[in-house]
Amino acid sequence: MQAGLLRSFQNSSQSRGMTAWFISAMLFAFYILMYFTSVFDPLATALGLGSRWNLYGTLYTLAIIVGGIYFLKRHGNSRYHQLRTYSLIFFQSVMAFSIPMVMEIFDTKGFVFSIFWPLKMDYFYPQNIFEYPVLLIVYAFLSALIGVPIMTILFGKRWYCSWMCGCGGLAETAGEPFRHLSNKSRKAWRFEKVSIYSVLVLAIITTVLVLVNWSLGTHAVSGEWSTEHSTLNLVSSKVQGAYQFIVAAMLSGVLGVGLYPLMGSRVWCRFFCPLAAILGIFQKFGRFRITVKDDMCISCGNCSTYCEMGIDVRAYAQANQSFKRAACVGCGICAHVCPRGVLRLENKWDFKTEPAGLTPQSIDF
Amino acid sequence: MHYVIIGNGIAGITAANKLRGRDSSAQISIISYEHDHFFSRTALMYAFCGQLSERCIEPYERDHYDSMKFERMRDKVVRLDADAKKLSLESGNEINYDRLLIASGSLPLMFGWPGVEFEGVGNFVTWQDLKWLKEKSESAKRAVIVGGGLIGIEVAEILLKAGIKVTFLIREDFFWPVALDKTEGLMIVEQMRHHGCDVRLSTEMKQILGADGKVVGVEITGGEKIDTDIVVISIGVTPQTAFLKDSGIEYGERGGIVVNDYLETNIKDIFAAGDCTEVVWFNGVRRPEQLWYTGRDQGEIAGLNMAGDKHEYRRSTFYNSAKLFDTEYTTAGLVNFRLEGEHNWYMREGKTDRTVRIVYLPDQTVAGFNMLGRRWDHRVLVKWIEEKRKLDWVLEHLNEANYDEEFMPPFEIPKELSGVK
Ligand SMILES: Cc1cc2nc3c(=O)[nH]c(=O)nc-3n(C[C@H](O)[C@H](O)[C@H](O)COP(=O)(O)OP(=O)(O)OC[C@H]3O[C@@H](n4cnc5c(N)ncnc54)[C@H](O)[C@@H]3O)c2cc1C
Ligand code: SF4
Ligand code: SF4
Repeated sequence: MQAGLLRSFQNSSQSRGMTAWFISAMLFAFYILMYFTSVFDPLATALGLGSRWNLYGTLYTLAIIVGGIYFLKRHGNSRYHQLRTYSLIFFQSVMAFSIPMVMEIFDTKGFVFSIFWPLKMDYFYPQNIFEYPVLLIVYAFLSALIGVPIMTILFGKRWYCSWMCGCGGLAETAGEPFRHLSNKSRKAWRFEKVSIYSVLVLAIITTVLVLVNWSLGTHAVSGEWSTEHSTLNLVSSKVQGAYQFIVAAMLSGVLGVGLYPLMGSRVWCRFFCPLAAILGIFQKFGRFRITVKDDMCISCGNCSTYCEMGIDVRAYAQANQSFKRAACVGCGICAHVCPRGVLRLENKWDFKTEPAGLTPQSIDF
Repeated sequence: MHYVIIGNGIAGITAANKLRGRDSSAQISIISYEHDHFFSRTALMYAFCGQLSERCIEPYERDHYDSMKFERMRDKVVRLDADAKKLSLESGNEINYDRLLIASGSLPLMFGWPGVEFEGVGNFVTWQDLKWLKEKSESAKRAVIVGGGLIGIEVAEILLKAGIKVTFLIREDFFWPVALDKTEGLMIVEQMRHHGCDVRLSTEMKQILGADGKVVGVEITGGEKIDTDIVVISIGVTPQTAFLKDSGIEYGERGGIVVNDYLETNIKDIFAAGDCTEVVWFNGVRRPEQLWYTGRDQGEIAGLNMAGDKHEYRRSTFYNSAKLFDTEYTTAGLVNFRLEGEHNWYMREGKTDRTVRIVYLPDQTVAGFNMLGRRWDHRVLVKWIEEKRKLDWVLEHLNEANYDEEFMPPFEIPKELSGVK
């Protein structure tokens, strides 16, 4: 038995009880106030943090550190999970938090080396990226267009989603108590396939629009209504603003974190993150897969239950079927909690393709 | 064609799924008295302690029966009339079949101890047992578990986690002699004690003591009396086939239904699969295979054969795995079979609970593996056994069979051990 998981389902805050709804409401309120009002500005100033965004960054980093310690208490008996958690804490506290802060002290706009387009749309928006030194511009483009695909083909999504990313970092640490709440139904899987690629398409359209508009010499400022310029400028600015509001603020922040206690910690990563969509596509063609050891599965369901991406791992295990799923972030928890050691995360080229028309239930027949 | 399946366990439901895959229009009925949905009996312990919810241990979505067009009956079969191809149910209803699958699983073994009828005495095998133990554990302070096998150790673990004082009575002088040797068994006992479990070796329960029809204690070997609120009996399971008496179905020595290689019983159009059958094992002995994966495989073959195929059910090298408290266990091949002239190569990694035991024959051919603590790929171990690899070779290559999580400290054989003993 995995000591830390005991009573996950007997605990109101972890099983959609009253406490869970309350925590969720608090998170929603926090995000709305933080994103759309200035109520936190005085507090940020009082703490000497300058803007409320720095306050947010500080809280976020703290949540990852504290949550990371909690995670290690639960799963720290595994080296994979130790290293992964240290890595997440490092990337958040150093790369995403400290380095940009230091850069700002030196009057450079903060740059996060561990976030890539399209998770960070700004890094492809010309009016933003061209404010940076040339090397950083080159880094932003090369990392997103070449680094991400290569790394993912070699190691699967996990090098990013569960070792580096800030959103994933929060999910794996502060979100840990809620990981089992992800929806495992086929319906959710179907929704995921539509929603995540829709956001990706939206992200690409938005980026292209902004790029084209910029190259034509008109400058749209995010979210601002402007009637002075051409229709393209108008559309581009409106789309950019809408994307910023719907995807970046509402889906990744308010809903993504607000729904932790009700729908698990990876709502954003699973259903909406455009970078995850890209990573998922490369993962399908890459080396990473989860290997299933024949016949050892007892269908207990620990793997499926604790899979934060809502993958019905048990269905594959029961059918002796090693698998690659675009959604899998390679967190390794399914393998870790399996009481029969059935599953193993592996990077190998020799994957046999799945039978056509694989669905979690039909693979049984 | 009307297919009727008795049993909604892994064998029954797998057969039904296979049948549906072969025949999209046949009428398929599944009868079970235990629960409305197929659930994983193997995971009862996790549902008990809240690591999983009761819903989590149902592998399929709730609409499975509808979408597969299975008719479900929550009822108990009390009689089989093979001549009339008819089943009588406890509710008084009758049901006719064209082809029948019996996949009725097992029942816990009980023994006629004095006091076994007291309230507070039970087992941990069925859905009802889960509910019973959950309810009991809310008020109980102490529990006695009788029988040192897999179910016993699982119950010990979950009751301890529920904050109950547990006394575990084991008849033999170490834990689980069918699978482990004394060194391994005692290592597990050590671990149980470390978790606060009061393990009594070479100890049997003599009688159950009660007051007002309720359990208050047990008397054990030597006359000692132990106070308790619950007694969980886990001395093994036996095929659940009593309802078939007078039906003409042939039984084996151990009460299981005798089937041929196609999982047909002695009566035409009646098949059997899972815990309730006796099949010929890899070593030629006929007996039940009470395992999850064999239940699935038998269900699969039975389902296909009911649909008209002719698939043989055959097992080759044996393998299995388990988890004993925190220690994972993998076995392959012939371990504890006392082969003629066998030797055992044994190592323990320092003071950890990671051990390796390799059984080999006088000519150095490896015959079996018993591995504790680490994860091992039984597919590789089985391959080596079937290739008749020699001990030296196996020791040299053992690392290739390791299946631990990534970044685990690598498995190494200390230099002084790497030679053959
Ligand atoms: C606590 C526990 C832990 C276990 N752990 C493991 C493990 O780790 N690994 C492993 O390999 N195996 C394990 N097992 C054994 C495994 O669960 C069984 O081998 C497997 O469930 C057998 O499946 P089955 O389909 O043959 O029968 P069952 O699952 O027993 O299903 C029998 C079905 O038949 C129905 N039925 C029976 N009689 C009638 C009747 N007269 N009328 C109507 N319906 C009837 C019942 O309602 C039930 O639906 C464990 C068992 C228990 C109890
Ligand atoms: S399948 Fe396993 S590794 Fe992948 S996301 Fe789910 S739990 Fe993590
Ligand atoms: S793979 Fe492991 S955790 Fe998942 S259902 Fe099978 S035995 Fe349970």
